[in-house]
Amino acid sequence: MKRSIHVTVNGIAYDAMCSENATLITLLREELELTGTKEGCGAGECGACTVIFNGDAVNACMVMAMEAEGAEIYTIESEAENGELSDLQKSFLEHNAFQCGFCTPGMIMSARALLNKNPHPTKEEIIEAMEGNLCRCTGYETILAAVQAIAGERDGE
Amino acid sequence: MPEFLQPTSLTEAMELLREKQDVRFLAGGTDLIILLRNRTVDCRYLMDIKRIPELSIFQYTPEGLTIGAAVTCNRILHADFFRQEHELLQDAARTLANSLLRNRATLIGNICNASPGGDMIPACLVLGASVHTCSPGGERVIPLSAFFTGVKKHVLRPDELAVKVTFPNKPGRGVYLKKRRIRGHDLTQVGLAGFYGEDRSLAFAAASVGPTPVLIDGIGSFSPEELPGAKEEILAKVAARARPISDVRSSKEYRLAMLRYFTGLAVDAFAAGEKLEVLS
Amino acid sequence: MANNYRYIGKSVPRHDGFEKVTGTAPYVADLKMNGMLYAGVKTSPYAHASILSIDTGKAEALPGVRAVVTGRQGATKLGIYMVDRSIIATDKVRYYGEVVAAVAAVDAETAARAADLIEVEYEPLPAVLDVKEAVKPGSPLVHEKLGEYAHIKGVFFPVAGTNIASQIKVCKGNVEEAFRRADVVIENTYEQPQVFHTPLETHGTIVQWGIGDHIRIYSSSQSPFSIRDLFSVAFRLPKTNIEVNVPYVGGGFGGKSGIHMEPLVGLLSKAAGGQPVKFIPSREQECATLPCRQGLVAHIKTGATKDGRIIAEQAEYLWDAGAYADYGVNIGRAGAVTGCGPYAIENVSVDSKTVYTNHIFGTAYRGFGHPEVFFGIERQRDLMAKALHMDPTEFRLKNLLMPGSRTITGELITENTGRADLCLKQVAEAIGLNTPYTPEEQAEFKKTGRYRAKAAAVLQKSPAIPTWCATSALLQMNEDGTLRLSVGGVDYGQGTYTVMQQIVAERLGFPIEKIHISHTINTNLSPYDWQTVASRMTVLCGNAVCEACDDLKEQLLEMGSVILRAAKHEIAIGDECVFVRQNPHQRLPLAKLAMGYTFENGNAIGGPLIGRGKAIAQGLTNLDPETGQGKTALDWTYGAHAVEIEVDTHTGDIDILHMVSSLDIGQVMNEALLRGQVVGGALQGIGTTLSEAVYYDDRGRLITRNFTDYKIPTFRDVPRKVEVLSVETPQLDGPYGARGCGEHPLIAVTAVIANALANATGAEFFDLPLSADRVYMRLHEHERE
Repeated sequence: MKRSIHVTVNGIAYDAMCSENATLITLLREELELTGTKEGCGAGECGACTVIFNGDAVNACMVMAMEAEGAEIYTIESEAENGELSDLQKSFLEHNAFQCGFCTPGMIMSARALLNKNPHPTKEEIIEAMEGNLCRCTGYETILAAVQAIAGERDGE
Repeated sequence: MPEFLQPTSLTEAMELLREKQDVRFLAGGTDLIILLRNRTVDCRYLMDIKRIPELSIFQYTPEGLTIGAAVTCNRILHADFFRQEHELLQDAARTLANSLLRNRATLIGNICNASPGGDMIPACLVLGASVHTCSPGGERVIPLSAFFTGVKKHVLRPDELAVKVTFPNKPGRGVYLKKRRIRGHDLTQVGLAGFYGEDRSLAFAAASVGPTPVLIDGIGSFSPEELPGAKEEILAKVAARARPISDVRSSKEYRLAMLRYFTGLAVDAFAAGEKLEVLS
Repeated sequence: MANNYRYIGKSVPRHDGFEKVTGTAPYVADLKMNGMLYAGVKTSPYAHASILSIDTGKAEALPGVRAVVTGRQGATKLGIYMVDRSIIATDKVRYYGEVVAAVAAVDAETAARAADLIEVEYEPLPAVLDVKEAVKPGSPLVHEKLGEYAHIKGVFFPVAGTNIASQIKVCKGNVEEAFRRADVVIENTYEQPQVFHTPLETHGTIVQWGIGDHIRIYSSSQSPFSIRDLFSVAFRLPKTNIEVNVPYVGGGFGGKSGIHMEPLVGLLSKAAGGQPVKFIPSREQECATLPCRQGLVAHIKTGATKDGRIIAEQAEYLWDAGAYADYGVNIGRAGAVTGCGPYAIENVSVDSKTVYTNHIFGTAYRGFGHPEVFFGIERQRDLMAKALHMDPTEFRLKNLLMPGSRTITGELITENTGRADLCLKQVAEAIGLNTPYTPEEQAEFKKTGRYRAKAAAVLQKSPAIPTWCATSALLQMNEDGTLRLSVGGVDYGQGTYTVMQQIVAERLGFPIEKIHISHTINTNLSPYDWQTVASRMTVLCGNAVCEACDDLKEQLLEMGSVILRAAKHEIAIGDECVFVRQNPHQRLPLAKLAMGYTFENGNAIGGPLIGRGKAIAQGLTNLDPETGQGKTALDWTYGAHAVEIEVDTHTGDIDILHMVSSLDIGQVMNEALLRGQVVGGALQGIGTTLSEAVYYDDRGRLITRNFTDYKIPTFRDVPRKVEVLSVETPQLDGPYGARGCGEHPLIAVTAVIANALANATGAEFFDLPLSADRVYMRLHEHERE
């Protein structure tokens, strides 16, 4: 049973049709065709589908699409503005903070949600915020470094 | 193919529950959405309870610390107004899943999922929590110690909505320790909450050592000086209430061993009057 | 290396970053086409069962379902090395999770519901769930018709009438006699479970089987040309009918080499009248249905003289290959060839059996048998050192292969093969392997119950490739003088394409920003490459790219000579121009030559510049079927790890405090990419040491089927400090002296941690994982007696 919901994604208001059963990730990827958000497990375990939902970083696969009625959502597509990469995106490039790239949108959104609330998180705060984002390629080191660079804190190691 | 309901008041929710059968409540969804996806669970209606204003209550009231059904674990973790005794809930919340899931998972959801390994439950048990419910038939208050009846089973009726949890004010301090397979997010191999009241009463509650979370109270009253000497006796009392099983996460022997180890750590911390770092 | 390179060895940023950090990089799941249908699969709930009947009626009747296929349509067998796997199970199922039917429908939800509606009647068969039981006479057979299966003869040796898919023996000297001479003999059995690759992106596939058998495939794959080849063989279609596209790939780790879901999805498309069909496995399907890494039971017997020379080693490997061994047989072979590690042992016998069981089938996994084999080998080295009362580093150094020695297959080690000894010395020094803990430190260990210790281990690997393994490259100049590089290999995160750009930039003195490389492969447009596996791209693709550069350079010099009216050997290339060496003001921008050169009067010469390059494995031979002697190694990358760990004896938890890894990669091509491979690979190794294992229940049904039950390392599970070192013994036939390193960081990590655990606590482990509960129970064994 498809229903219409009103949702604002990346600053744009949509009236989207969606099955009552669908999760937010289906709404974003299939209905709104914003495919930057990736599905890695569909069960809230890997963080590849991280988006910002009413200010909080959440797994889009763990939110029902219907819950998004009236919500304000930001996906990876919101990071770059007017063709300019964001500070966080540039930092990921500089620090080689990706390999296959599949976890990267989720990593960036998790970091962005944290930085929105706390512009200067400590290393522990970054890890606490991003612990739910899995990566199989990089070993996490360069991702942490990329976020720390924006947080303005360098761990003295 | 559940139909989605989104009441915006408790009255509306009760009316819907009067009219409709086979309704499941959606709070954070971190358990339910998975069950629906895997088709382990099916229902005719899914009721999103998060738009009911009363369910967002999060403050101290005459009933004590009052946490509404829609309050997430991250809100609990980051709250700055808790009394010392209730900080135990934050220690527990820190170990639950990861931040992404905590932005959705609610305390009530963790309780109503009724998993023997529920991360928040031992802390709630030692703090003497009560669950407040509302149904078309009326309201009731259920002490958490009487809430669980089996693995993922509780006393709530299908049309009974848990609206808040309350924790009495009781001076003292608690500790929560959780053992898991990795340092990162994982379910519990074993979880232990301990509470040492200013009145010297001692209580423990454990996760993943039986079909339901276990409250071990009536252990007795000890001064800080008496605690070290009583440690063995306390360990025995706690261990006696544990009936763990072996599963993919842990052998039962290891669960028992960690339960004893954690109890010992808690007793030492209480004796020394120290705040224990959460162990993972 | 003290070379004055401008690009080689530098940490040049990756070329594909922009797409990845913006989320615009398309992976298979992001692709959509008109009329696209979605696939669902019905899988076996039994580990071993006969299929009595399949009723697809209800599924076919469900609105929105366009096709249903079963083993009736999917009986064709596939296999890269051994043809033992039909596209869909036919008369029986051989593992829990095996596909018995598939559906194509208008959306994924309908497809899943339709799959549920398919009714299958099974008769359970006795399941073979232990590889040690599987090799015993009288064991139920997983493949009764093994003797009839096509396979590469003379390379793989199935034993008909048994569960042995292939048995490879490699011998050198006389082990029996040498054991008699040895002063110390030790014998141990090492057991490791299967593990999962867990790429973040599952094996996504889209296939359109169009009219006239024109097939278009999009696959998350490491092997576009192998897919084309195997698809063509399986369905007896000309290769030119089949187009394979590989967009961005979200991790492979070996699991996406060879052929997987493409034929099944192709059948669905054919049955649906040629509409494209998309299959994106869920994480649970990825775990239960797609392949894993084989398990291994290794029995190793080692004999040494009292002064520390290993004179005999005998290894018996039983690989738990699971239900199918189409790829698995080669892992058993690679394990045999690497046999006893980088050691000069005169008398060796390796008997490697790839064995069928009713577990999930195994496929290539990063390290290709080496991480599994080196657990046993490097544990055995430490244990022998203890038996001899020798320092384990001294013991290893005394036995490592040096220039002049020969490997187990008789290959001669030269000055340029590589130096395992230097890697070992580097890591030992960096970690302070022989610096004892002070009495104060030791008192602290006792007080806290947290014990620290260090250990080291060595590793080696050569690519496990056919002797004729080849690759090619095209380097074209665009109209504006920029360059366009195409290769057939896949960059699924390792950074291969960036290294290729560096090679072109260095070789032609060309600014790297002006060298573009297409990230997607299309077998109709891209030059051929065998598969992106085996850490072979740096050497083979690198060499092909070098040749393409030289070819292009020749053409540029040729044109330059004519236009600038000087002898070819007087022309040079630099600053994006050709110029006369002695009179550099006589120059032409390359852009003027790119599409041919036009004289003032309108005459034109030359034409579009296309540099062509190729590379084929040099000097490899088949192995003698009796003795296993031959040269299979394109190159050897040696290396070593050292770790310092802390074991909490109260809980059994192991914390990796410090890890140092060194690889002899000939020439470091890109420091940052090397570090990325080592840090990432080491963590994957740590995961398979401390927490990862595939578990089944006693009926062979998979228990660990998602990230909840199968724990891979997170941000919190990293070592506290990782150092990455390198040795540069030039590979004379590698580009700029380089060798590959993609797999090596993972090898011997299990052993080095187990060695350190033994040093910290005295507890010797012979099986994995070293999870806290298992470590704890062992440490406290005595308390229970």
